Amino acid sequence: MADTLQNPTSPNPKISAYYQTRAEHYGVVTSDWLAQAQAAVAQNPDDNGVSGTQVRVSDPDKPFSVIDEFNSWRKQPDLAEAVAAIRALAAVIRNSQATTMMELEIELKKASDSLKAPFRNCIDSWDTTSISLTAGCDLFMRYVTRTSALEYEDFNSGKSRLIERAEKFGEISYKARKVIAMLAQDFIFDGCTILVHGFSRVVFEVLKLAAQNKKLFRVFCTEGRPDRTGLRLSNELAKLDVPVRLLIDSAVAYSMDEVDMVLVGADGVVESGGIINMMGTYQIALVAHSMNKPVYVAAESYKFARLYPLDQKDLAPALRPIGFGVPIPSKVEVEKSARDYTPPQYLTLLFTDLGVLTPSVVSDELIQLYL
Amino acid sequence: MPDVQSLVNDFPDQLRKRKIEGSQATAKQTAELLRSVISQQRVPHTNQAGALIDAVRAVGEQLIAANPVELAVGNIVRRVLHIIREEDLSLATDAIAGLGLSAASDDEDDVERGDHPVLSAAAVAAAARSTLRPPSLQTLLEDIPDSGGVPQTSSSGGESEGKSRSADKGSRGRKLKHDVIEAVNELIREITDCHEEIAEQAVEHIHHNEVILTLGSSRTVLEFLCAAKEKKRSFRVFVAEGAPRYQGHLLAKDLAARGLQTTVITDSAVFAMISRVNMVIVGAHAVMANGGVVAPVGLNMVALAAQRHAVPFVVLAGSHKLCPLYPHNPEVLLNEMRSPSELLDFGEFSDCLDSASGNGSLHVVNPTFDYVPPKLVSLFITDTGGHNPSYMYRLIADYYSADDLVVKRRPTTGS
Repeated sequence: MADTLQNPTSPNPKISAYYQTRAEHYGVVTSDWLAQAQAAVAQNPDDNGVSGTQVRVSDPDKPFSVIDEFNSWRKQPDLAEAVAAIRALAAVIRNSQATTMMELEIELKKASDSLKAPFRNCIDSWDTTSISLTAGCDLFMRYVTRTSALEYEDFNSGKSRLIERAEKFGEISYKARKVIAMLAQDFIFDGCTILVHGFSRVVFEVLKLAAQNKKLFRVFCTEGRPDRTGLRLSNELAKLDVPVRLLIDSAVAYSMDEVDMVLVGADGVVESGGIINMMGTYQIALVAHSMNKPVYVAAESYKFARLYPLDQKDLAPALRPIGFGVPIPSKVEVEKSARDYTPPQYLTLLFTDLGVLTPSVVSDELIQLYL
Repeated sequence: MPDVQSLVNDFPDQLRKRKIEGSQATAKQTAELLRSVISQQRVPHTNQAGALIDAVRAVGEQLIAANPVELAVGNIVRRVLHIIREEDLSLATDAIAGLGLSAASDDEDDVERGDHPVLSAAAVAAAARSTLRPPSLQTLLEDIPDSGGVPQTSSSGGESEGKSRSADKGSRGRKLKHDVIEAVNELIREITDCHEEIAEQAVEHIHHNEVILTLGSSRTVLEFLCAAKEKKRSFRVFVAEGAPRYQGHLLAKDLAARGLQTTVITDSAVFAMISRVNMVIVGAHAVMANGGVVAPVGLNMVALAAQRHAVPFVVLAGSHKLCPLYPHNPEVLLNEMRSPSELLDFGEFSDCLDSASGNGSLHVVNPTFDYVPPKLVSLFITDTGGHNPSYMYRLIADYYSADDLVVKRRPTTGS
């Protein structure tokens, strides 16, 4: 069972590692998905317990590498990509020999650049296109260069403060999900039908809290091909006794008239206020828009990224393997991109830990931070 | 001196019985009531702002519960709470700045403060505002207790502020109260003057030989149109009568009395006439946080007609109408159902209205408000200028503190 779960682990440098890890954490790989997912979840709690409390001891003999550090953090299923990035940068600070702020900044800059764009020939290369990774690095760099608290302190206490902040970032990200779940409660009313796409921790948190608050609602889950993250979500929701209906990805328009709102997560929120999310989100948003249904996005604010995609192909595609069950002739091309861009005009509101925002607020926040 | 307690009991009663209606009247009375509550409130030596906030919030809850449809009441309560927080913070920063000045005055900000102790209030207020602002990306990493913790903890930022710097200032209580009352007076003045502020912008929007359409009656619209007329603009106004209250008739009468070319049309003629119209100008009951408008019934239809013919749909609203809630909140979705007598004459229809006898089952639904979604609104004109619907959140961030939006609702649901 363990190896079926770990199915797509064979390191293929062409495949986006971000989606690979996601598939490992959220995807249900075999056809007997229910039993498997349940088994996996049964395993997971103690798994989480170990990985959550485990403190990474850096090997003194081995030269420190930010990439190794990042890779070890990202393996934890409950940790967001951005948190892993910031933790890794904190480790850079901890291991740094720098004696001035300037040196430290340069060192950090190098590290974050190497995180964002690792060497092309590196076998262990992961997704250079991960948006929350880039956003997390940028946010932390911004904090380091900008924070006023460091100005009057001596270097060492400034350094330890930075490390402390970075360590707490995991907590911030966890808290952000709680805040979002709370904000979103007002929008879920009794008797509503919510369409969700893929598996998003924030969306799950929102639905979980709503279920705990005794709201009566039902959820339509898309299947979420090819890593079938929707199956996982429907399984989790069924455990909470939320009525769930599973749709194949192509049944969205067919079911849309029964839906009251669409709720999706996001890999990244871009400057236009649009989102980059799992493949299929754009299409769902289009259908929802044409049928006048609200589209809500739940996303933590550290996913705000300084990108301005002009169209779908404007971003480096994140590739992932797609299984069709039958052999595909070599002449047939397969679209392997894992995500798409949903422009802001198709989104109604964003639930973030900064509050409930309209898409146009996103650019405002980003300008305030980076200008 | 009127007894505050009786006022506090009296005003919700009037709200409940709909004796006071309309957002301006309710907003002004709320502000006046809260001002007397503040002036009567005894402030302890410690945690003065906390005491004021609690008092205002207790009264505010009653007021909001009395008539939840009058969103202006809740807006003013939140504004006053925000004022208290802001004044408290600015006093605190003043005190800190004073201390810093006596200790070491090499920082240029401090020097400036020393030179103009009064003028520096603006700088301090700006600094304080940054603490009051809703959480942003900038503060995400900086202070965890402030940014993350606020929505959950029941003790608000103002209270903890008060606790931390408690004993040393005896006169601060009076100073704080004085400042708050001064600011509330300013707020009342703002509510009273908002018509003029809005009307001043009329010439920028209304041009020669244009045709303006409006529906129902709004004092803001009346003043706006008259201001343009006074500036020698000649234009025509179509007034849809605004069934069933027919307040459009009153507006038409007022406009005609002031020499404007006015035409009255029925509500159902709006679509027929809209192709001749250059601009739709209407008033609002409340403006929601997403830029949607709660407006007199019939306006959604006008907005749709305007969109169909690409006619700009302009909404005039004083800042007291700006509501920090989203229209998806169930309590906001409440619409007021008015008496059927506005639609039908009871004498004539009493037979079929009487469902108990089984003779007839005629039902009358008479809603007061429409919700106009933000995408149908071209422009908001407030007392601070013209704004896009998507810009409303920014004004809300300026006028309200994030604590009050959430804290406000919790006691009402909890109790």
